[in-house]
Amino acid sequence: MARQTASIQQRLGLAPGTPPILALKGVSKYFPGVIANEDVDIDVYPGEIHALLGENGAGKSTLMNIVTGIYKMDAGEVIIEGHARDFSSPTDAIEAGIGMVHQHFKLVRAFTVAENIHLGWPQTPKRISKRHLEARTHALAQNLGLAVKPEAIVANLSTGEQQRVEILRVLARDAKLLILDEPTAVLTPKEARELFTALRAFVARGNAVIFISHKLDEVMEVSNRVTVLRGGKKVATEWTDTCTENSLAQLMVGREIVLTETQKKTAPSIKTAPILNLSDISLTTDQGTVLNNISFDLAAGEILGIAGIAGNGQRELTYVMSGLSTPSSGILTLDGEDVTKAGARTMAQMGIGHIPEDRLHSGMAPTLSITDNAVLREYAQPPLTRKGWFSPKGAANLAREIAKVADVMVPDFNMPARNLSGGNQQRLVARREMRIAEKILIAAYPSRGLDVGAINTMMRYFIELRDQGVAVVLISEELEELMNFSDRIAVMFHGEIMGIIPTKDADVEQIGLMMGGTRQEDLT
Amino acid sequence: MNLIRLQRMPIATPRVAFAFRVASVLLALFTTAIALSISGRSPVALGAKVISSTFGSSFGLEDLALLFSPLVYCGLSVAVALRIGAWNIGAEGQFNFGAFCATGVALFVQGPTWVILPLMALAGMIGGALWILIPTLARAYADVSELITTLLMNFVAILLVYWVATGPWLDPSGMALATTSRLPVSVPTLWGIVHWGPLVAIFLAIALALFVTYTRWGYEVRIAGANPGAARYAGMPVKTQLIGIMLLSGAIAGLGGMMEVAGTVGRLQGGISNNYGYIGIMVAVLARAAPIGVLATAFFMAVLLNGGIVLQSQGLTTHTVLAVTGLILLYAAIGDEMAHYKILHTKAKDI
Repeated sequence: MARQTASIQQRLGLAPGTPPILALKGVSKYFPGVIANEDVDIDVYPGEIHALLGENGAGKSTLMNIVTGIYKMDAGEVIIEGHARDFSSPTDAIEAGIGMVHQHFKLVRAFTVAENIHLGWPQTPKRISKRHLEARTHALAQNLGLAVKPEAIVANLSTGEQQRVEILRVLARDAKLLILDEPTAVLTPKEARELFTALRAFVARGNAVIFISHKLDEVMEVSNRVTVLRGGKKVATEWTDTCTENSLAQLMVGREIVLTETQKKTAPSIKTAPILNLSDISLTTDQGTVLNNISFDLAAGEILGIAGIAGNGQRELTYVMSGLSTPSSGILTLDGEDVTKAGARTMAQMGIGHIPEDRLHSGMAPTLSITDNAVLREYAQPPLTRKGWFSPKGAANLAREIAKVADVMVPDFNMPARNLSGGNQQRLVARREMRIAEKILIAAYPSRGLDVGAINTMMRYFIELRDQGVAVVLISEELEELMNFSDRIAVMFHGEIMGIIPTKDADVEQIGLMMGGTRQEDLT
Repeated sequence: MNLIRLQRMPIATPRVAFAFRVASVLLALFTTAIALSISGRSPVALGAKVISSTFGSSFGLEDLALLFSPLVYCGLSVAVALRIGAWNIGAEGQFNFGAFCATGVALFVQGPTWVILPLMALAGMIGGALWILIPTLARAYADVSELITTLLMNFVAILLVYWVATGPWLDPSGMALATTSRLPVSVPTLWGIVHWGPLVAIFLAIALALFVTYTRWGYEVRIAGANPGAARYAGMPVKTQLIGIMLLSGAIAGLGGMMEVAGTVGRLQGGISNNYGYIGIMVAVLARAAPIGVLATAFFMAVLLNGGIVLQSQGLTTHTVLAVTGLILLYAAIGDEMAHYKILHTKAKDI
């Protein structure tokens, strides 16, 4: 043990005996019926970027909520620079030099960057002019090496810039330990690289970073060490350079399969007549023409992948196929029946499930109970509704059933759905939709917010559905995902389909060109 | 040494939330008591007077029931609209216009009581619904905030009632000033001067509670109120629901107006709504838009208002009661937030 400690400090270039900035010893947290964390030990030393890896529900967020004083642990110790601490509020944690940047930014959008930095900060002078506020912000940004525009209104900034403001706000409060919750989920690759540079500079000054992620390549790229959690317990802490993506995925999921299994391709089982036919579908909204003359057939028992950079009409296409939008022109037929104007309810009743891309805005009512959300698709039919009478008991039973197959632990079904983690919300919605998808399942970015293991499980379900003869439309930005799971890939650009390629003939290069606006027939 | 600290929980347990509600009411009364004793009055004596004159005699209880009735109608009206995410600030106006329409039927349609009374109730409900129609359509089709439009419609309805009661419909016998003549029909009484109004209100609250929990429509309204996007996604007719619920909200307030004019007052007069529509907002908010909760908070507000009448007879102004209600709302808001906190006992070691 002693030898190992010495080697950690040596490898990080620290003086022997340097205490960790943060040490967790036997930290445990229980919720009714759920072990969130049990007996977790982690040391984070100055100068290191420590990745925290785990599946959805592995206890990463709970653990960090304990460290930042949002939750109180039931057992164990949190030791900050050699002193045992027991935070009861985030303010205590901030005073102790621990700052966290959440996935959803906590900025006042209507305020300027300078105002956001100084908001709720004891060191902000009581009376200060706008000019001085901006000058102070500028100086802070210079010192900490984070370029921000002090006078800019936050709402006008890009997500990457907003994140920088959020980080600056935390660092300005003298944070020595910066915790980032899936920071790159909202960033472009370029912004992510800038973030990594800033983080490396930050730890080089003797600070530390805990980097929560489930993107294995990022963990490999940015971290010094990595701790893997599974089922609320620590599985291992390893030096990142001794790991591979495969070994990390194994640790995380506890099964050996993951990455190999996702690579497995299954040939389409039964080819039948087209179940859904789009012919010359166009849609014009106040945004202009968002879909332009889209025609294709969807066959039962196939997975049709839809590739393209987000915002090229994918969302509108799912809306048309699920009956949420009526196309301005063109005809949509389901099993030979014209359903162009059928509407969302009829389409759902006809066996079309839809996992929407923005589940919090359309897939769920976050303030309502988990039960209310789980029954959104089946509330109108027996046993939930008989002759107009709704059965709360029937709803509770159905919700339990869905949560069980979705493998989501729910302590209390009356709890608002917003209290579930994003991954668990996604699983519930996916399961709810798969239940009604007798003919077609439209899945828009289903893997967003899920980790490798959960994505794999979900894709396996899609394949099962496909093998039962359901047509699956899979919309994704991850080309690899599409190449692995779909039978055909359609590429969208500016509201049009550039071409549809059988996956076995597909070539990433070609798809990339089509995503950029080259038509299939123009490819050489 | 033990340190006591607070921790915020994501949801407040119902029991704790209820305890904080009770505490906030008591605290408001206590604050009022301090203010009264500072101004040289005996809060204990005044309190005893309020309680004895409210609960001590059948007259007091009858008055209480008659105050309770319009508060339930207005409270339910606001609560129903809140269910679909609309703020009906216009219960006051719908109450007035419902009373106006019901009076019109009573004054100008002849027939047996058993025909005229249901007709008046219908007229009251249609009147109330009509009075919220424009704000409803504006909200549904042009996304205009109903908060402002319903409020503005109040002034029109209130002044309309003043005008007809002092002008065209003024009692021709000259016996009464600024009111219509006594209506030829009235809601039958059940007990003393208490008519069917309060009882119908209670039934209505129960029916609405069942509707919310045990009907398919209730579920749809819940979803549409919480997230219209999700309701559209599930194929629910969100606009139709919004329109239906807002019209229902207006109709309930209008029925309250009919009961008031045909049961309690017997004539249409200016100011018949007596701010019930505004107090109804408080009733609904305190009840968290739950229909059964509305019965409890309306009862409580009725006790307060009745207390106000008693206090007036003791030389205090009605503003005392308005201050108490304001304090309750303030404390309840603080209490709702505090109910989210858990007290922690921490051992102070190493700190």
